[in-house]
Amino acid sequence: MTTATEGTRAQGLRRDVRRLGLFTAKRLLALFLTILVGVYLTILIANMGGRVDDLRMVQIQGEVSEMVRGDPAFQDMPSEERNALVQRQVDLEVERLRLDQPFIVRSFDYLHRAMLLDLGRAEQMHSDSGSRDVYDIIVERLPATLLLFGTANFLVFFFSVYIALSLSRRYGSMLDRSVIALAPSSAAPAWFYGIFLILLFAFVLPVLPSGGMVQAPPPENPLHYALDVLRHMLLPVLAMFLSQIFISIYSWRTFFLIHSSEDYVEMARAKGLPDNLIERRYILRPTLSPIITSFLLMLIGLWSGAIILEQVFNWPGLGTLLFQAIGHRDTPVIIGSVVIFAYLLAITVFLLDILYAVLDPRIRIGGD
Amino acid sequence: MLSAIKETLKYSRACARDRFWSSGKAWCRFGSDSTGPVTQRRQGPKPAGPFGLGRIFPDCGVALLDRRMTAALRSAPCLGENADSNADVRILQRFLKETLTSIPDRQPIGGASLKKVLFWCALALVVLITAGALVGTESTRSPSQAGGVDGDAGDRRGALVDQVVFTQESDMGKVSGLIEGGAHQVFAQGITSASVFHRIRDSQKVVSDLSYGSSVELSLNPSGPEFDDGSLNPFHVPAMREAMNRLVNRRYIAEELYGGLAVPRYLPINTAFPDYARLADVARALELKYQHDPRAAADVISETMRELGAVKQDDLWHYDGRPVRLIVLIRTEDERRRVGDYVANLLEDQGFRVERRYRTAEEASRIWIAAPPSSGQWHIYTGGWISTSINRDVAADLAYYYTPRGRAEALWQAYEPDPEFDALADRLQRRDYRSWAERQALMARGLELAMEDSARVWLVDQLNAWPRAENVELAADLAGGTAGSALWPYTLRYRDKVGGNMVLAAPSLLTEPWNPVSGSGWIFDRMILNAIEDSAVMPDPFTGLFWPQRLAGAEVTVEEGVPVNRTLDWLTLETEAEIVVPGDVWIDWDAAEGRFITVEDARGDEPLTARSRIRIRYEDGYLDRYWHDGSQVSMADVLLPWILSYERANEDSELFDPAHVPTFEVHRQHFRGWRIVSESPLIIDVYSDQIYPDAENMVGARVPAVQPWHMLALGIRAERAGDLAFSSNKADRLRVDWLNLVGGPSLRTLDRHLERARDEGFLPFAEVLGPALRDNEIEERYRAIGDWYRDRGHFLVGDGPFYLHSVHAVERSLVLRRFADFPDASDKWLRFTRAEIPELNLDGPLVVERGEGAEFLLRITFEGETYAAEDIEAVRYLLFDGRSELVLRGDAEQNEDGDWYVELSPGQVEMLGTGANSLEFAVTTHRVALPNFATHAFATVPSRRAAQSGDNE
Repeated sequence: MTTATEGTRAQGLRRDVRRLGLFTAKRLLALFLTILVGVYLTILIANMGGRVDDLRMVQIQGEVSEMVRGDPAFQDMPSEERNALVQRQVDLEVERLRLDQPFIVRSFDYLHRAMLLDLGRAEQMHSDSGSRDVYDIIVERLPATLLLFGTANFLVFFFSVYIALSLSRRYGSMLDRSVIALAPSSAAPAWFYGIFLILLFAFVLPVLPSGGMVQAPPPENPLHYALDVLRHMLLPVLAMFLSQIFISIYSWRTFFLIHSSEDYVEMARAKGLPDNLIERRYILRPTLSPIITSFLLMLIGLWSGAIILEQVFNWPGLGTLLFQAIGHRDTPVIIGSVVIFAYLLAITVFLLDILYAVLDPRIRIGGD
Repeated sequence: MLSAIKETLKYSRACARDRFWSSGKAWCRFGSDSTGPVTQRRQGPKPAGPFGLGRIFPDCGVALLDRRMTAALRSAPCLGENADSNADVRILQRFLKETLTSIPDRQPIGGASLKKVLFWCALALVVLITAGALVGTESTRSPSQAGGVDGDAGDRRGALVDQVVFTQESDMGKVSGLIEGGAHQVFAQGITSASVFHRIRDSQKVVSDLSYGSSVELSLNPSGPEFDDGSLNPFHVPAMREAMNRLVNRRYIAEELYGGLAVPRYLPINTAFPDYARLADVARALELKYQHDPRAAADVISETMRELGAVKQDDLWHYDGRPVRLIVLIRTEDERRRVGDYVANLLEDQGFRVERRYRTAEEASRIWIAAPPSSGQWHIYTGGWISTSINRDVAADLAYYYTPRGRAEALWQAYEPDPEFDALADRLQRRDYRSWAERQALMARGLELAMEDSARVWLVDQLNAWPRAENVELAADLAGGTAGSALWPYTLRYRDKVGGNMVLAAPSLLTEPWNPVSGSGWIFDRMILNAIEDSAVMPDPFTGLFWPQRLAGAEVTVEEGVPVNRTLDWLTLETEAEIVVPGDVWIDWDAAEGRFITVEDARGDEPLTARSRIRIRYEDGYLDRYWHDGSQVSMADVLLPWILSYERANEDSELFDPAHVPTFEVHRQHFRGWRIVSESPLIIDVYSDQIYPDAENMVGARVPAVQPWHMLALGIRAERAGDLAFSSNKADRLRVDWLNLVGGPSLRTLDRHLERARDEGFLPFAEVLGPALRDNEIEERYRAIGDWYRDRGHFLVGDGPFYLHSVHAVERSLVLRRFADFPDASDKWLRFTRAEIPELNLDGPLVVERGEGAEFLLRITFEGETYAAEDIEAVRYLLFDGRSELVLRGDAEQNEDGDWYVELSPGQVEMLGTGANSLEFAVTTHRVALPNFATHAFATVPSRRAAQSGDNE
């Protein structure tokens, strides 16, 4: 009997492992295909389906011609010779950028390298310290972005969840109504608040810097450096906080309210359990899946930074980098940013699939 | 199912007693069956639901276990799908009644409350940032404006400020606030926004310098008269293009559309460049001829359209039965958007149907440059051009802008200039003239023909305002502004003190890697490098002529008949019938053998001639100076840059760089050799076939570049080893880093090579450079640059008035500090901090009777003082009658008081007839390229005697 039970159990375990493996394989394959399609679409869009090649050719021709026109050394040359020299310079640049190859060939090469996370070399841009490797370019800006957006998003997340939980049990109170009334203020983006904050705190009351990550020159003492970075972070963090906090509280509050009216919560209340206990056990815990989802998506959302906000605050982050890359039409940098984001997103989605099952027993693989 | 519930309840009881539940790790998967791979029954300590049944049960009151509770249990996440059997539920209810009443009510423990965690996390972040803000304010106060003492600039050497911090700031909206607040002192970006400019103008603490380097025009499509699709292009006809000059109101564009940040421009010569001043009278006459006259323009347009076969119906021109549609390609990034709309409105008023296509630079370039003009994708394009330095010879621009020789693209190939214009433009481009007077005559005629051609209708020269604090001054370039000024590091100072720190902002910094061979060419990077690298000659920011910085003098000799002018007295200009290049002059470099090739080696007995010889005499002690790292300058620093240029063009060399070849070939075409005549003092002869109109600029173009050889040697080693490359192109070909002396991965590589170079006593091209070294120079140089790298963290060594103290690449800032060993007095270049644009005051009679003479007096001053006569190049006058016809032109004369006057004889007054006339003065000076104009309007009336006799009759 025991042997039979063990045999059944082993059989069940094998079946479970097989199902789990199958599920994982299918999921990974689906995510891989999603990344593949997403990255290739990015390549196509970033190059406008190959039209960027034409733009680049004109741009190269124009730049070289203007360089020659402005250089006195080229003056008094016969125009044929001068134009031949211009053409040679143009050819060199075309060769460097591989514009002499059809775009479709280059696009698959981009894709192949991107999928292997071979970020390669930028075509136009450099890292701040002068490296042309896309990896260096991105990694150099990453800490600044993580610091600024991580701080702001953590603040928004923790504050909003905390306040929303409280409001969900003070439904209809003055505070609750105030938050609801303020929620539309989030329609204005963070950079919009940023402009006003700069005006107020950097110019009217000149107590905080108007932009940058650290003063120039940066303090040599590490402690002072850190404090100065914090000082420079204050306005952009505040701008992001103001922009997101009310809608975030409103959103979580609504979410918690829905869950607060579940029957099992009613039952707990009827039992006379303390509010804190109800919040923690009966509301927060069953809603952990969406909360964690939101949190993780927020974390990977840090990757992309915020283009306009970084511009307004002159913050040397990934948003500014992406903005410059788009401006330069530097395909490898654009692809590098996107492919890393895509992989992070895919990994997160995959982890969430697992986490959901861990957190919520209602979620199962296979069904029935 | 039931068994699972029982297990759970059993477990919950146990855990409620021993408080195990609060560990937070006891959650389970709990399925309704055992088939799911993830859903597993678990034995032992992990059978609870997401928030654990066990956590509910200890607090449950037995009295509440009614129907409502049953429903709740059904919907509970743990049981929702499990409690599918009424029997199960009943068992559960009974079990609960029996069990839970015996369990004491307990509060959960273990692990901080999630709410508290959330709260404390948020609070900690807020406190941290606020503390940083408050403490940071105190501990990291901005150092700008710190330091500085009262003193005389003449008593000091080198830069007039102690430290300059460059930082990146691209938001021009912050300019006035940052300067007023004292955070910044100078902005190295030209302002073109009228609103920002007005804010600066209204500020008490902010002033600005103006530059004139950019211009706006209308490019007209010359193809036609029909495009490929059969539609009409009236701008194929020169008369139609010419009429556009009178249709547009340039003053309106300058004052209204550009808010005063522009000046009208009619001709293909920038109004701030010397050629415009030299031809001021011709230019003024043409400007009056083509001044705004919409009625005259409309007449020409109507006539041209009818000649083309168009008819006007209902105020709309039709061609082949269809309305004539004009496409205006409008750039959107700047005020050209408004200019395009303005022109489109004008054309609509003339009876055209206008389509406005708004495009960015990139989008527009595909249409107006790349597409064939005959494809009819545009008729008018709002073009713009930029010059970052004063161009003293714009004669080649006629060929560039109006003939197919300008560029190879389709638009240029569609130009069909008048044969006379074409030939003339070609001669000017090739400098095919024998005298300056001939050149000026060609230019004058060329301008007339350019206006008749009008493939481009010039509109305005845009002004860029370069902001700075009111108590700061520096020499800004008339074309390139602050960023384009070579003299800014020599003149930057506080007006009221000597020394102190400053913060300069630029829209971009460290845009590309820095190296002296083929590094960043970005204007803002070049601006900083101008402070680090001293130069043998300096361009005058107001005239573009070169002045000596490290030279004692120069002797320029040109072939007879070659038109070259000398303006300044620091050099001499002579002519010779033939200039023969001596046999010992170096004309080439043998990369294989590592030696110079002389003219004799290259040509044997065959003589080599050149059109010019320039003897450059350096100041005494030129080779006794020091580089920033403390090493002493030597002849090797003079020789190596030249050798390197030839090596990089040689395919057999490891330093060969294909990107260098085209530029090098241009050099080879006109270069005829050089030699070192003397080392103390250093005298160098350079032979060349290339001629510039100004002798000063010929010297400027031929002065050899001098670079610290030990800095270059590290780069040479790294490139030979395939680790780094001097140029971007070669770096990409080899897939290595572009050599950067101030940051990035290059530093580690250079440091490695420094160590090896030091160990090996490495000297590139040792056979040639070895004899040029001092004793122990190799060892001293490498020790110096090694110490420099350890102290400063970079390898950039120069000899300018500032050295690069530190680079903060990610923070986008860098620090320059005054080089204390700089040899010159600090006030050497201060005379260039103000553009001495003459101020004109013209006086004369308002009414002149015919039959009488008249005298007009022009007073030329600068800041209240009479302008020195020797600084005035010419005072020309133009006399126009009531129909704006030019009646008289000539040169004004100077009287004893230093004022300038023009006397009109009774006969000359008589030529004007009766009516309103105007007298225009054009003043050009040697101090500034910008000419100045004054106009005096007066009326000529019949003489009283004649009138009286008429009355008597």
